[in-house]
Parts: sequence; structure tokens; C-alpha cells
Amino acid sequence: MITNWLDAITERMTRSVAQRTSRRGFLGSVGATLIGGAALPLLPVARAGGGDGQPAPPSQDPGDPTSCDYWRNCSIDGYLCSCCGGSMNSCPPGTDMSPVTWIGTCRNPADGKDYIISYNDCCGKNSCGACFCNRNERDRPLYRPGTANDYNWCVGTKSIAYHCTVTLILGVATTPS
Amino acid sequence: MYRTEFPLLIAMLVASPFVTAADLARQDYILNCQGCHLADGSGAPGKVPNLKGFLGNFLHVPGGREYMIQVPGVAHSVLDNGRLAAVMNWVLENFSRDQVPPDHVPFNADEIGRLRADGLLDVNTRRAELLATIEKKLGVKAVTAP
Repeated sequence: MITNWLDAITERMTRSVAQRTSRRGFLGSVGATLIGGAALPLLPVARAGGGDGQPAPPSQDPGDPTSCDYWRNCSIDGYLCSCCGGSMNSCPPGTDMSPVTWIGTCRNPADGKDYIISYNDCCGKNSCGACFCNRNERDRPLYRPGTANDYNWCVGTKSIAYHCTVTLILGVATTPS
Repeated sequence: MYRTEFPLLIAMLVASPFVTAADLARQDYILNCQGCHLADGSGAPGKVPNLKGFLGNFLHVPGGREYMIQVPGVAHSVLDNGRLAAVMNWVLENFSRDQVPPDHVPFNADEIGRLRADGLLDVNTRRAELLATIEKKLGVKAVTAP
């Protein structure tokens, strides 16, 4: 008795679904859901330091890299390599880049994003002496050595003589630090 | 037919976590650890201990698990206990997966809070003792001792 009743209900529901939908429509919606789901990770979302090597520079990079006001210099304490025969990304000839660095974030005014910046010191010659900047945003006291920029960060280089500092972009910060 | 699945896709987009826990742990590593331990965890010989292919060895010896959290760089981190636990688990998984014992239980916030409050006074001596035990038990030497 009850099975007949269940059969009737099921049949009615099945027929009603079959009338309203098509099998291809169902496959289409499953496909769209799967592809939509698979495409989600591909959306242009910031991923901190995603991948190895130097990330692509931001499409908008306003300002003068030889000025202390330039956005990437927000936490710097030292001489800008851009003024010392190097660039934002490369050390001047005769110096080598310290692998051990001071890492912070700076906001790019053009796109409003926070970029993770590595302040690598270039070491091996005496102080460059040009374009000294001391902006110190998010600089911490010496008892927080990992985020104190008053230290000599020439660590792991042949020489500990500090010359100037570069500002490498490691990625976009996904959350405020 | 798109009447039904567009709202579904939009719901999935809205609900999708754009920043995963692993993304946050990776970023916390970059901003709080990478400056000295470097992007691949290899450190600087004679200056910064190597994590790569080694850190998990500490989990094989008594006191090693505790030491990993009691070292000043970890215990004094600005990260809260939960994020610190996530970073430590991320570091073990990404830099030293092959050394982590199979029965390893990941760190959680409570354990981190307890251990970091119990810091080390003489780090170098403790480290030397643990490295000696690791070498004796596992036959491996630290690549870069500080």
C-alpha cells in the first residue's frame, strides 16, 4: 500500500522534472559548475610570493625611485642603490647582495595594494653617501631584531661593509600585516 | 537553463575563501621569518640555522619539539599562538616533510602558548645537546650550526 503511494509520488515527481528540464541541460549545469569551481583558483587574486623568483612588477609604479618619497622606500633606513650606480633591484658593481634581509610591506598608491618588500643591503664597499633615506614605517626597536632596520643587514655576504639598499618586490600581501 | 546555475556559481564565488590558511601561513613566514631563514628555509651558514631538510629531525628526540617553539625567534614572535602554530606546521610541511615522523601531531595554539611562555635561557647549549642526540640517534648532522 505504502509502496504504491511512494511509487506514485516518485513517478509524478520524475515526470514533472523530465517535462521541465532536458538531459543536456542537466549535463550543462553540472559542467558549468565543475568548470566554474575549477576556474575559481585562477581568478586574479593576490597570492603572497606565489611561485619562485622575482614576481612581475606592478603595472603601475608611480614616483621616482631615487626619491625617499617613492612608495617602495616606506621602511628604508639607508642609501638608495638607485642613486649609487645600481637600481631598485640590483646592486652597484663591486658589491654583492645580502641574502638575509629586512622584509616589510609598502602600499602602492596607484593600485592601493600592499606589496611585500625585501630591503636587501648591498655590501662590499663603504657607504655610498647618496640619497640617504630614513622613513622607518613599521620599524621596530633593536630588541625585535627581525624587524629592526638599524642593524647592519650585511649577513651572509663576503664583506660586512654596508654600501646601499635595494627594494625587491616579493609579492602582494593578501592580508594586512 | 542558466536560470538555475548562475545563482549557484555566484554563491560559490562569494563563499570561496580567497585567502586560504596556507596562503596566510606562507605570508606570515615571509614577513616574520624569511628575512633571516630565506625563501627556501636554508638560512645563512654560521649565522642563521637551516630549516630545509632538517627541522623535522628535532621531532625525533626528547625536548626537540619543545625547543622548536622555545627558541627566541619563535617564542618572541609578534604572531599570536594560532598563527604561530600555523606557520610552524607550514614550515615543517614545506621545508622538512621527509624528516617529520609519521606519528607527528601538528602544533596547535594551546601548545604554542604553553611552550613560548617557557623560553630558553641558554639556547646554544640546548641546541648543541639536541644536535648531538639527533646525530647519535639518526646519524645526521646539522648543515649549518649557528
